[in-house]
Amino acid sequence: AADKIRLIPQDFFAELCEQIIQHLNHKIPGVNTAELCQRIQTSGVDINIGDLAKVANTLSFLFSTAARNNLSTEELVTTLGSGISTLPKHAVQVIRHVWNEQGKAIAVSEDAESTATVGQFVDMKWKLGVAMSSDTCRSLKYPYVTVTLTVADPSGQITDKSFEMTIPQFKNFFRQFKEMASVLETV
Amino acid sequence: RAAAERPRFAPRQAPSKDAVRQLCQECFCSPPAALGPLAQRACPGLAVSAEEAEQLVSALHNLTRHVVFRGLTRAEDILCLFPENFHQNLKNLLTKIILENISAWRNEAQASQISLPRLVDMDWRVDIKTSSDSIVRMAVPTCLLQLKIQEDAALCGNNPVVSALTVELSKETLDTMLEGLGRIRDQLSAVANK
Repeated sequence: AADKIRLIPQDFFAELCEQIIQHLNHKIPGVNTAELCQRIQTSGVDINIGDLAKVANTLSFLFSTAARNNLSTEELVTTLGSGISTLPKHAVQVIRHVWNEQGKAIAVSEDAESTATVGQFVDMKWKLGVAMSSDTCRSLKYPYVTVTLTVADPSGQITDKSFEMTIPQFKNFFRQFKEMASVLETV
Repeated sequence: RAAAERPRFAPRQAPSKDAVRQLCQECFCSPPAALGPLAQRACPGLAVSAEEAEQLVSALHNLTRHVVFRGLTRAEDILCLFPENFHQNLKNLLTKIILENISAWRNEAQASQISLPRLVDMDWRVDIKTSSDSIVRMAVPTCLLQLKIQEDAALCGNNPVVSALTVELSKETLDTMLEGLGRIRDQLSAVANK
């Protein structure tokens, strides 16, 4: 991961570290890797989302381990120095700064959310549409529901998943959720 | 326009009604690029030349697709697509076959139109998280939801790719979701009543 870190400009690297710390502090549901990657690419840096995700995972592991072991800033930097000796200087500076400011505030998490092994639901956006016409049917008038689910995976990376449903499917979908809610109530 | 699409059909040895039915179905389903191979497969059964088979398959494809595109549902509307000197019995047979298939074909066309990935299945389970390595005792009900999403919808079933999305929902996030879904339901009722 060290050579990938080298690619990331300092301010973006700082932003990434910020998001990771905030995620570990349960202030935000996850790290928006896709969005950050887009902006880094727009600035002219050639990095792909897989690499950025690996960097985020490594940093997340680093910070959470340091939190659990109650490392001071100097101890953390020492660990970095011995482990990944090829980290660029600006990266070490950012890590030192971020840890100094916010590292000690990371509570070793006590709540159930941190035991997640699957994606955590973050948000749902929806749209109700009517397809009027297509290359196969001139007059369609076909209603459908589009949903975008925002999910934070166990490592904290946020992704969006979009899909369509027909109206009967939507009605079933809604019904299932009401079922789930009533079961959750009674359990 | 419709007349220009008609084949110069001279069925000397007419294939059976079932064979014609089958051919119509295949011609409708086939995307334009696959018409060539389809013609080659159909050729022996039709006792026509390779070139005639291609013209025939192409014409049937255009005819069936045209009917579905325009949403034609009456026999008269379909019959008038054929040129005047067209073989009477064959014209009636084709019209009959098309009418039989129209609603299934229209559904297929709707199901395979351009769209985002489609939801094909959903499963869920309610669990209680009782303990973990960091917390010895808790009793948190949680919902696990798995959505199966088909990435690639294609007319007449090629090999669609299905991916599974597994999401955990707490009571709070489930309520958020329900609120959103309720609003969709309200919108649907409002639209239906217009």
